[in-house]
Amino acid sequence: MDGLNEILSLVFNATLVRSTIRAATPILYATLACVLTQQANILNIGIEGIMIFAAFAAVTTSYFAGSWVLGLLAAIITGVVVAAFMAFAHLKAKADIFVVGMGVNMLAIAMTRFLLQRTFGVSGSFHHNDIVPMPRLNFDFGGNALLDTLFNDYSLFEPVGIVLVFVLAFILYKTVWGLRLRSVGLNPLAAETAGINVTFRKFEVMLYSGVLGGIAGAHLSLGYSRMFVENMTNGRGFMGVAAMFFGGANPFWGWIGCLIFGFADSLGSRLQSLGLPSQFILMIPYVVTVVVLTLAMMRKKRAETARKSAI
Amino acid sequence: MYKTSWGSTLMTIILSLALGAGAILLLGYDPIEAYYQLFRGAFVGKFNIGGVMERFVPLMLTALAFAVSAKVAVFNVGVEGELYLGAIAAAWAGYAFTGLHPLVHIPLCFAVAMVASGAWGAIPGVLKAYWKVNEVCVTILMNYVAIYFTSYLVGNPFSARASIPRTPTIEESARLLRILRPSRANIGIFVALGVLVLVWWMLYHTNWGYKLRHVGQNPSFSEYVGIPPKKAMIWGMILSGAIGGLAGAIEVMGIHGHFLDNFSPGIAFDGMLASLIAKNDIRMVPVLSLFLAVLKTGALGMERFTGVPKTLIDTIIAVFILLAAMEGLFAYSRRRSARSSGEEAA
Repeated sequence: MDGLNEILSLVFNATLVRSTIRAATPILYATLACVLTQQANILNIGIEGIMIFAAFAAVTTSYFAGSWVLGLLAAIITGVVVAAFMAFAHLKAKADIFVVGMGVNMLAIAMTRFLLQRTFGVSGSFHHNDIVPMPRLNFDFGGNALLDTLFNDYSLFEPVGIVLVFVLAFILYKTVWGLRLRSVGLNPLAAETAGINVTFRKFEVMLYSGVLGGIAGAHLSLGYSRMFVENMTNGRGFMGVAAMFFGGANPFWGWIGCLIFGFADSLGSRLQSLGLPSQFILMIPYVVTVVVLTLAMMRKKRAETARKSAI
Repeated sequence: MYKTSWGSTLMTIILSLALGAGAILLLGYDPIEAYYQLFRGAFVGKFNIGGVMERFVPLMLTALAFAVSAKVAVFNVGVEGELYLGAIAAAWAGYAFTGLHPLVHIPLCFAVAMVASGAWGAIPGVLKAYWKVNEVCVTILMNYVAIYFTSYLVGNPFSARASIPRTPTIEESARLLRILRPSRANIGIFVALGVLVLVWWMLYHTNWGYKLRHVGQNPSFSEYVGIPPKKAMIWGMILSGAIGGLAGAIEVMGIHGHFLDNFSPGIAFDGMLASLIAKNDIRMVPVLSLFLAVLKTGALGMERFTGVPKTLIDTIIAVFILLAAMEGLFAYSRRRSARSSGEEAA
C-alpha cells in the first residue's frame, strides 16, 4: 500500500499542473487558430504546416539577429504568408481546403528539412547557444515553495495564451465583428444578403489564424524548447484541430480540450518513467474527443427528432 | 466540379518538375543531370525497379482505400491507423500460427488483417451514417488511438523482447515471395494490382457497387428509391478499412518480416494525397501512386550521384500536390480566355 501511495505522490503533485500547462500551450495556439477559421467554416488542417514554418523562421531569426522579438515577428510574418497562400488557393483558385492543408503540411516538413541542411548544415535538429529564447516570468513569493512551483518560471506566451482565450471569446461572442464572422460560418448566403463580404471575411480570418499559428510555432521553438527539430510539431497541429472539435469551435471549451490533452501527455510521460505502459493514458484525450463529439451529435439528432414530432 | 483530365494532370507534373529544375539550378547544380540520375535511380537496375515497387504497393493500396471511402462520400483520413492495425494483425497471425502451408497461411494473415482494420474502419462509418459525426475529425483522432494501441501491443503482449520494440519474426510460411532481389519487392504487388482491378470491377460492374456510388452522390435520393444509404456508407468504410489493412499486411509479410513500432512514416497520408490529386478516380490512382513512388525512389539515386538533396524532391512533390489541388488556377485563366474569345466572336 505504501508503494502505491509513493507512486501516486510521485505522479500527482503540484508540478503536474505546470507540466499540463506547459504541454497544453503549443496546442492551445493551434486550437485558437482553428477556432477562428472554423467560425467562418474553414477547417484549417494546415495549421501544422504553418507552425513548422513559423518555428523554423523563429529559430533562424533568433539565431542570426540575436533577438527573440525579431524571431517572433519573423514567425508571425511567415505564418501570415503561408496562411495567405492557403486562403488564396482555397478561395480564389478553388482548391479543396483539406488538400491544401495537407499539401502545406507536407511542404513544411520537406522544406524546413531542406533549409535546415542548407542554412546550418545539420540534419535532424539544430540547437545552439546563440538562439535567444523567450523570457520567463518570475515573481517573488517570499520563498514559498508551492507558489513558486505553481506560478513561477512560465515562458512568456504560456500566460498570454490563457488571456487570449478570453479575449477571443469576447471578440467572437460580444462584438459586432464576431457576430458577423459567425454568421459567415453558419449561413454564408444570409451573411452575403446582409451585406457581409463573405470571401473577404474568410480571407481575413485566415490571416489572423496565420498570426496565431506563427505565435504557436515561435513558442514551440523559442519558449517551449530552444531549438528546431524536423517535424517538431509532431501532430500538435492536428491535436489543435481535435481540441477545436472537442470545444465545438468555442475558444473556452477548446482550451479545456487542450488542458485534457496536456494533462494526459504529462501523466503519460510520468507513468512511462515509472515503467508502466503509458499508451492507454495517451489515448484518453482522443477517445474522449470522439465520445464527446458523438454524444453531442446524438443529442442534436434527438432534439431535431423531438422538434419534428412537435410540429 | 471538374473531372480529372490527363492533360491537366500532365501539365501540373511538367510545371512542378520545371519549378524543381529552377530550384536545382539556383542551388548551383545541373537540373538535366539531376533528373537523369533521378530516373536512372528509379528505372535502371533490379534494385531500383524493386525499390519503386516497394514504395508503390502501400501507396497505391492506401490511395485506393481513400478513393473507395470517397465513393460513399466519406473522407477516410484514418487509413494510416488501419494500416497499423492490419500490419500488427498480420504479424500476429504470421508468428502465432505455425506449421501451416503457405497457401493457407498467407490468406489467413491477409484475412485477419482485413477483418481487424475493416472493423476499425466501420466505427467512423457507423458514427457518420447514424449521427452525422464529422468523419474527418473522428478518423484523425482514431489514427492516434490505433498507433498507441499497436505501440502497446508491440511493447507488451506481442513483444519479441528484443532491443527494439517489435513482434517476433513471422513464420517462413507467411512470407511473401521476394522478386527482383536484392530489393525487397515481393509478390504483394500482384495482390495489390489484383485488389485494384477487383475493387474497380465491384464498384462499376456490380449491383452492389452501383448502390454504393449512388449513395455517395445523393444519399437522400438513394433512400427515396430504396437503397439504404446508412448500410452502403458503412460497407464502403469497411471495404476502405480492409484495403488499408491489406497494405499494412503486405508491408509486414513482404518487407519487414515483423511489426515494428511506428514503422510507417505517414505512408497512408501520401496515399491519401495521391488519391486526392486523382480526384478519387480509381483508374488514375495507380498512375499517380506510381509517379510519387518513382520520385521518392529516384531521389535517393539523385542525391547519391549529384548531391542534390532528396528533401528537394519531397518539396517538389508537395508543390505538385498544391498545384494539382488548385484546379481553379488553370480553369480561371481558361475561363477568362474563353470569355475574351467569346467577346471577340460577338
